Amino acid sequence: MAATSVYSSPGFDFSNQLRNNFLTEKGLPLPKATSTGTTIVGCLFEDGIILGADTRATEGPIVADKNCEKIHYITESIRCCGAGTAADTEFVTNFISSNMEMLALTHGRKPRVVTAMTMLKQYLFRYQGHVGAALVLGGVDATGPNLFTIHPHGSTDKLPYVTMGSGSLAAMAVFESGWKANMSREDALQLVKDAISAGIFNDLGSGSNVDACIITANHTEMLRNVEMPNQRVQKEKTYVFRRGTTAWKKENIRDLIVSEDVTPVGTEAMDTS
Amino acid sequence: MYSHVYTMASFRIVPDNQPKTAQVQSKNSLGLHDTLEYGPRTIQAEAQSEGGLRSRLESWEETQDNLKLNMLRNVHGLHAPMRLLMERRIVAASPHMPALPQSNIHLDILMGRDETIEPGDVFGATVSGPPLDIHKDMERKLRM
Repeated sequence: MAATSVYSSPGFDFSNQLRNNFLTEKGLPLPKATSTGTTIVGCLFEDGIILGADTRATEGPIVADKNCEKIHYITESIRCCGAGTAADTEFVTNFISSNMEMLALTHGRKPRVVTAMTMLKQYLFRYQGHVGAALVLGGVDATGPNLFTIHPHGSTDKLPYVTMGSGSLAAMAVFESGWKANMSREDALQLVKDAISAGIFNDLGSGSNVDACIITANHTEMLRNVEMPNQRVQKEKTYVFRRGTTAWKKENIRDLIVSEDVTPVGTEAMDTS
Repeated sequence: MYSHVYTMASFRIVPDNQPKTAQVQSKNSLGLHDTLEYGPRTIQAEAQSEGGLRSRLESWEETQDNLKLNMLRNVHGLHAPMRLLMERRIVAASPHMPALPQSNIHLDILMGRDETIEPGDVFGATVSGPPLDIHKDMERKLRM
């Protein structure tokens, strides 16, 4: 007797796998996913954590989104920056955010950053790196400010300042020369802005504006587009065509109603009050 | 007389990489290829290429569950996993018709997934369409 499985299914459908393998062998490439060739950073300062990100999403060599949001919400005082495949980072952070909310409701306590980190790393390890999400997770909980980095295969690091993405080397250079323990809020924010700007101007996969998020024990402040160093220049002339630029030769208006005949139905006239 | 052979209880946390074999996936209850339902056997359908991620995901929960059950057996004795498995089996035997939207909250509670959201919930884990599965489900139901 075939017993129904008590386990839940993984949710993915592999029925096209045979066909896809056959097509790639014949030379047809798989479609490219939108990636966030990115610079994301996080750093510890005296009151908490500051996370920073650029805002460019790329699809191969093309810029798919000039102002996307890479700092995702996990809980009220935990945020996560995502680099890698945009869909993967978006889904994974949403998924973990939902589970953290369920956990908070179950236990009646504010959830911790390590919980989110453990959920993320176990999920990413299960998929052996196929879920292309490189994350910088930071937040303040009952144990204090915590900053983690999570790689697509599931490895994690706990560090006072981290960078991820294609612009991580440029940003890390800025951090290594400028970071000190217990920085003030203004200094830390300026350092994060400098690090992201280094990624924006020196890495082709990062660009557009700088986003930042300041997380302290009792307040989270999201600074969307705190710096916009790549604004488009105002055009010098206007290129609007004036009315009547294109000459027209013939005008033909067809009435949709060919003929109309009103016949009142019933003894009284229609009451349209 | 029985010869008592103890097979090694598996403590794997992560599923093993299955060796690539040509398996009959279209099995009927006797373990043979079900021609009536799936048509004649084809090599293409049987050759399992790139089963790596798929088999890993499908046996993930089972592997971790086995680990916990084996630990329970070693610590408390055979009765501990046996009771859990018995409860699961009782609860999984749903008396309802195998109509498509079926949810078993009692089983979810026993398996510990009543207060979590899984990728399967988000991506619609229900199997495709009624026509193919009703026969198997009715067979299963009537044999009980």
